[in-house]
Amino acid sequence: MIEKFKEWYETRHAYARQWKERTGGKVVGTFCTYVPEEILAAANMLPVRILGSHEPQDVTEPHIFGMFCPFCRDALAQGLKGRFNYLDGVVLAHSCIHFRQTFNSWRIHLPVQFSYYIPMPNTVQTPHARLYHTVEVEKFKKAIEEYTGRPITEQDLDRGIEILNRNRRLLRKVYEYRKLDHPPLTGEEAMYMAVSSQFIDKEEHSKVLEAVLKELPERKLPRDAGIRLMAVGSENDDAEFFRMVEAVGGTVVIDEQCAGSRYFWNELVPNGNRMAAIADRYIDRPPCPVKDYPGHSRFQHVLNLAKDYRAQGAIIMQEKFCDPHEGDNPRLKKYLEDNGIPTLSLEFDSTNPLGPFRIRVEAFLETIRGEELF
Amino acid sequence: MAEIQEYWRWTEYSWHHPEMDWRQGKRIAAGIDVGSVSSQALVLVDGQIFAFSNLRTGSNSPDSANNAIKTALKDTGMEIKDLQYTVGTGYGRVNVPFANRAITEIACHARGANFMAGPKVRTVLDMGGQDCKAIHCDERGKVTNFLMNDKCAAGTGRGMEVMADLLSIPIKDIGDLSFQVDEEPQPVSSTCVVFAKSEALGLMRSGWSKNMVLAAYCSAMAHRVSLLLGRIGVEDQFFITGGIAKNPGIVKRLEQELGIQAVKSQHDSQIAGALGAGLFADTLLQKGAQ
Repeated sequence: MIEKFKEWYETRHAYARQWKERTGGKVVGTFCTYVPEEILAAANMLPVRILGSHEPQDVTEPHIFGMFCPFCRDALAQGLKGRFNYLDGVVLAHSCIHFRQTFNSWRIHLPVQFSYYIPMPNTVQTPHARLYHTVEVEKFKKAIEEYTGRPITEQDLDRGIEILNRNRRLLRKVYEYRKLDHPPLTGEEAMYMAVSSQFIDKEEHSKVLEAVLKELPERKLPRDAGIRLMAVGSENDDAEFFRMVEAVGGTVVIDEQCAGSRYFWNELVPNGNRMAAIADRYIDRPPCPVKDYPGHSRFQHVLNLAKDYRAQGAIIMQEKFCDPHEGDNPRLKKYLEDNGIPTLSLEFDSTNPLGPFRIRVEAFLETIRGEELF
Repeated sequence: MAEIQEYWRWTEYSWHHPEMDWRQGKRIAAGIDVGSVSSQALVLVDGQIFAFSNLRTGSNSPDSANNAIKTALKDTGMEIKDLQYTVGTGYGRVNVPFANRAITEIACHARGANFMAGPKVRTVLDMGGQDCKAIHCDERGKVTNFLMNDKCAAGTGRGMEVMADLLSIPIKDIGDLSFQVDEEPQPVSSTCVVFAKSEALGLMRSGWSKNMVLAAYCSAMAHRVSLLLGRIGVEDQFFITGGIAKNPGIVKRLEQELGIQAVKSQHDSQIAGALGAGLFADTLLQKGAQ
């Protein structure tokens, strides 16, 4: 059953088109993982995260500077190539300036019926952020209501919240299995699973997760786990890279990235005020480095994950020119190493040189393992 | 027609122990380092260096590995089938047809450096054909940390070959000639091999001597490598492996910039990778590997 996620990952656009045909619903492209999808689920919309394809492209040069991160150009390229031409709307909840450029360029060159910018504060650590963002979530809800012409009731919201929470809960349950001595799934499979939850109908995704959870107790990988690794970074869905790492003696047992655990880690905690509860969920989630100032709460979270999942080393996957991560990584690297987790830092582009990465990964694994050679 | 001189060409050669009788040996272990520019094969008999070769890598890794081992074994009576365990390393490490196992050149250079320069070596700089590696290791030559250059081959052997060709100076003379200048010039500003070539041409046109250009180039390379080392830190003792270790124009400038002397060794710095691979093969043999 777990193969379903890979299939979805590879056929995401066909899936979205079929979903639209089948349900007659609206599909909304989400930029970054801070868009409050509860509202979209409450309005029976399909949120589809805008991601790149990891293929070479030559269509974004006129629109985005080369010094912006490769991901924001790769994502825009997908739009310019028409791969997301089924979208009815696009929404960005503010994260970094690079991706905002992608969003703005998208709105100019790929007009859709509905486009909305949520000015989510980056300083989520100030107490003022909660009220501010609650009001912004409310405004976003109203904008969706105006667009669809249908009010979103409290029952709708509760349903939307439960759809999201159930999916998060199930993803966490599957991740629990990765703590085992012999994890029954690879890091590559976990990546497909977590990323596909960002563009597949959550209820359908959750059903597959439940089926997978039934299979996992009996499932065995046809190889030893080898060195247990953690992947740390941002939008890291480079399948080839994970496949290579897991072919040379490692298994990625946990991640801290927005293509993975950061997206679904915390559930929404219901309270009487639904808008405030939604706002809090996004303020309290494991932060992207762009929202981790002035305190660095993320570092402790990364270390806790590494310890809980018994990672023997961490691969810090730095997206080239991603300023927020570049700001964190030197300190994060030191922090992990000071706490006994060796690290390997690699710089990622939208397409990557697998050979040079392989020698670094192999040498990293030898450094952790290596005693047999002496 | 006059013979065209290939200024970039460095000497390919092989060596074998003049007295050792390998047939008396209990363990015959080999290391094959198929690098991006050069390939080495090295054979250890009971942990002693018996034979090695140092050749240019061809377009095909298996052929380069075969040529290297055949050249090393020439006139020794030993054949590939006599090798009891072989470790492949270098960028062609998985394409050595007769290897039992592949180990990264990072591990192998540290192990080789440990043999060549002793157990006190803590920092190894491998300046190879197309990449540079800064490596920390322990007293056994086990890697504890490492860093490689990314996305740019500046400061490597290939860049030096290009410069030798451009200036029509035999590559082995570059280092010494780079010191035959009245005063040390500013380093060239481009470390990219292609841009540095353009810059060198510009300097020549504006009246610089070849030696001045060499000095400016060597100095830029030394500076670039010192930045790589700076990111990981240089712990005494310090040792340099790879072909560039033979170029005093870079080594001396690097030592000056770092304020630390590199340990000297009687061995050819280019065989460090193959030697490390051979030593691992020997250890694995002792542990019963087949």
